[in-house]
Amino acid sequence: MEEVIKAEHLTKDYGGGRGIFDLSFFITKGEVFGFVGTNGSGKTTTIRHIMGFIKPKSGKVTVLGLDAWKDSCKIKENVAYIPGEIAFPDLTTGIEFLKAQAELLGLKSMERADELIKRLQLDPSAGLKRMSKGMKQKTAIVAALMADKDILILDEPTTGLDPLMRETFLELILEEKKRGKTILMSSQMFDELEMTCDRVALIHDGKIIDITDVNALKNSTTKSYKIEFLNKEDYLKFKKLKYKIIRDQEKYFQVTVQIDDSDINKLFKTLSNYKLKFIAEVKYNLEKHFTNILEKEVKGGKNAF
Amino acid sequence: MHFSKALFKQSMKANWVKWVCVTVATCVMLAIVIIVLGSLAINDIRDSLKDVFTQADQESYLKENSVDSYEAYNLSIKFVDGLESEGLEGYMGLAWGMITSSYQQKINEYTTANGQAPTGEALVSIKEETVDELVATIKSLGDYLPAEFQEMSDEELGQFIYIILMAYDDNPDLSATSPDFVETAKASIKDNFVEYAGITAYNLYISQGEEASVAEGYAMQAVELANTAITSYEQKSQEEGFVYDEEVFKEEANEYVINMIYTQTYNQFITSETPTEEEISNAEQYAVAAKVLANTAISTYELWIDEYSDVEKYPDMTQTEIKEKARDEAVESITDQIPEKVAEALEELGNMDIYGLIIGSIFYRIAGLLLPMVFVIMVANGLLAGQVDSGSMAYVLSTPTKRRTVACTQMAYLMISLLAMFLMVTITSVISIWVVGGNNFAINFAEICFFNLGAFLTMFAFAGYCFMCSAIFNRSKYSMSIGGGLSIFMLVCTILGLFGSNVVPSAMRIDAMNVFNFLSIISLFDTVSILNGTIAFAWKFAILAGIAIVTFIIGVFRFEKKDLPL
Repeated sequence: MEEVIKAEHLTKDYGGGRGIFDLSFFITKGEVFGFVGTNGSGKTTTIRHIMGFIKPKSGKVTVLGLDAWKDSCKIKENVAYIPGEIAFPDLTTGIEFLKAQAELLGLKSMERADELIKRLQLDPSAGLKRMSKGMKQKTAIVAALMADKDILILDEPTTGLDPLMRETFLELILEEKKRGKTILMSSQMFDELEMTCDRVALIHDGKIIDITDVNALKNSTTKSYKIEFLNKEDYLKFKKLKYKIIRDQEKYFQVTVQIDDSDINKLFKTLSNYKLKFIAEVKYNLEKHFTNILEKEVKGGKNAF
Repeated sequence: MHFSKALFKQSMKANWVKWVCVTVATCVMLAIVIIVLGSLAINDIRDSLKDVFTQADQESYLKENSVDSYEAYNLSIKFVDGLESEGLEGYMGLAWGMITSSYQQKINEYTTANGQAPTGEALVSIKEETVDELVATIKSLGDYLPAEFQEMSDEELGQFIYIILMAYDDNPDLSATSPDFVETAKASIKDNFVEYAGITAYNLYISQGEEASVAEGYAMQAVELANTAITSYEQKSQEEGFVYDEEVFKEEANEYVINMIYTQTYNQFITSETPTEEEISNAEQYAVAAKVLANTAISTYELWIDEYSDVEKYPDMTQTEIKEKARDEAVESITDQIPEKVAEALEELGNMDIYGLIIGSIFYRIAGLLLPMVFVIMVANGLLAGQVDSGSMAYVLSTPTKRRTVACTQMAYLMISLLAMFLMVTITSVISIWVVGGNNFAINFAEICFFNLGAFLTMFAFAGYCFMCSAIFNRSKYSMSIGGGLSIFMLVCTILGLFGSNVVPSAMRIDAMNVFNFLSIISLFDTVSILNGTIAFAWKFAILAGIAIVTFIIGVFRFEKKDLPL
């Protein structure tokens, strides 16, 4: 697979533990790659490196084989960007801004822009200063997508959008993905990353802690069930059986068992002999996955400390 | 070519309102300053002060002329009286022989040495040589001399000998043994005395830097004075029972001089051949005033002569000193009586160029720079730092536009908008000057154009500096406070420094305030040099342009290399 974006040992130390440290990852062609992490974890700093806005202290980023800092201008021929902060140039209306942007991009036709405007239900004739956060974000999305670049870099693109608009936007992203675009998207919303991304990187304190293959996670055959028993006897009896218990809450007579889908019938047969209060599937999603990892990380960090 | 048309258009759209407001306001201010002040009689006070000093000059000149003429008349009388005195007649032959033989000997020596008789300047220098020798010789005789000679100062004696030599030139064959020797010699000496008075006056005024024609006028006046005095003396001496009385002749001298002054002044005011009645009465009025002034000067002179002649009070004064001091007192004008510092301050105020001060030093260096400076500070910040701070620069830089292109385009916008602004200001100023009289106005077209060029270059330097700050800092607040802050500081320094610069009259000036002028680059905009027509302003302009170019270049390179938080 062709590596469209590649970061190698990327480091930018702002002092006081802030910055990014020895970051390495790659994004292949046609892939949607997600960045997730807490505020100030280094997502935006990494994206600024890819955009060539800041110079790495050590390590480097290449986009399509070109150095992101030195060939920043050339790279932009294939890259579209939605900045994390929404602030427009000192122009009056949305359409004026889009036209100015088209001129800078060397776009001849506004066809794609008009299509996007319709799709996002944007009123581009509105004054930039009067626009709501969501309208501004839509305008920024149109400005980024109208040139039909091969690589999209989106820094928290759904901020400010209402749930319906968010859906529309995510659909748009999936369409772009189908058209073969390579997309890097940062977000704090796990569900939207889970919905769009092929792989998601978790950044914490300037380091990539984990890169998860979302498809593998989704297609996993292992599931967890939380079971509460009515009495202590049943609870203790069940615990003696050979099920994999990942969580045990004695106080409530609760256990959480992890089993493969192929063993589900066996479990139900067993349980028919017990008096249960309830049984519920515990969803194992990206959020859960990363929370687990983060908890471990924080604990590990504490121990090391 | 590092230029983006799209970005330039964007900057124009973002800033045109500011540009229009600042340009219109500055142009209106300038037009008001030039047109309104131009039509008001702002220079009236200045002119009347100037009149006072011109009149004072005329007054002291008139008094000088009166006193000098009076003295010359008296000298002539004294000279002719000395010549006619009984005592001298006996020595006449002896003196003639002694003086002329020494002179003739020198002429002969010259002729042998140069193969031709001395003429012109050579003859004059031989005469002076002879005079120097003879004065010493004659004075050494001491008591053997007749009383008339003993009374004479070296200078007077020298003049007398010189005149005799002139008389000898006229009558080289005259011998002391000739029967009509005394008569001929006296007549010739008198003639030459008159001629000598003319030559002395001419040389005096030429040495004072007067034109030859003016000096000739004074020479003629001196000749006439001497002639009149001698003729008057001769007439009186013919009369029965004539006794020389100094007072009588002084009275006569006074009378003659004040009438002379009257006539001169009158003629001065009658310029046409057929004067109107008004002109005549006007001239008469001035002539009478001049006459009174002359009379006062002469009486004052006499009074001071009497005062200084008091040997008990002023024991060490020679006759020459007495006359000089008395003359100084007599010719004093109004302005001589004001304390020197006040007179200087007043005269400076009279000579002050109010238009140069208001238009040059106040408008172009302070008031007219204020709004363009605000424009430059705001726009320079908004072109780079403001957009980086807000994050909107990300949109430009996410297109295939080089950072250098962004910096150069924004720089070009700043330069061109400033140039266009000052082009409008220049047009306004030229039209305004044309309205108030073109080149006849206190400030001409060339000067106003240089003012505009200077103001542009000053703002150009500030623009470069603010642009550099805007390129260096990512935060508006730093770019504004460091770029704009120093610019405003310099403008304020120029305001304070104005009170220490020599364009304000010394009465208002506090020299210590001049320190502020060294803290501001606006001092390199030298309006005084422009008005005085010196070229000092040119190299200062070059420095301003240099500051602008260097800071702009630093800005462009810095913006290209730095990290952007976008």
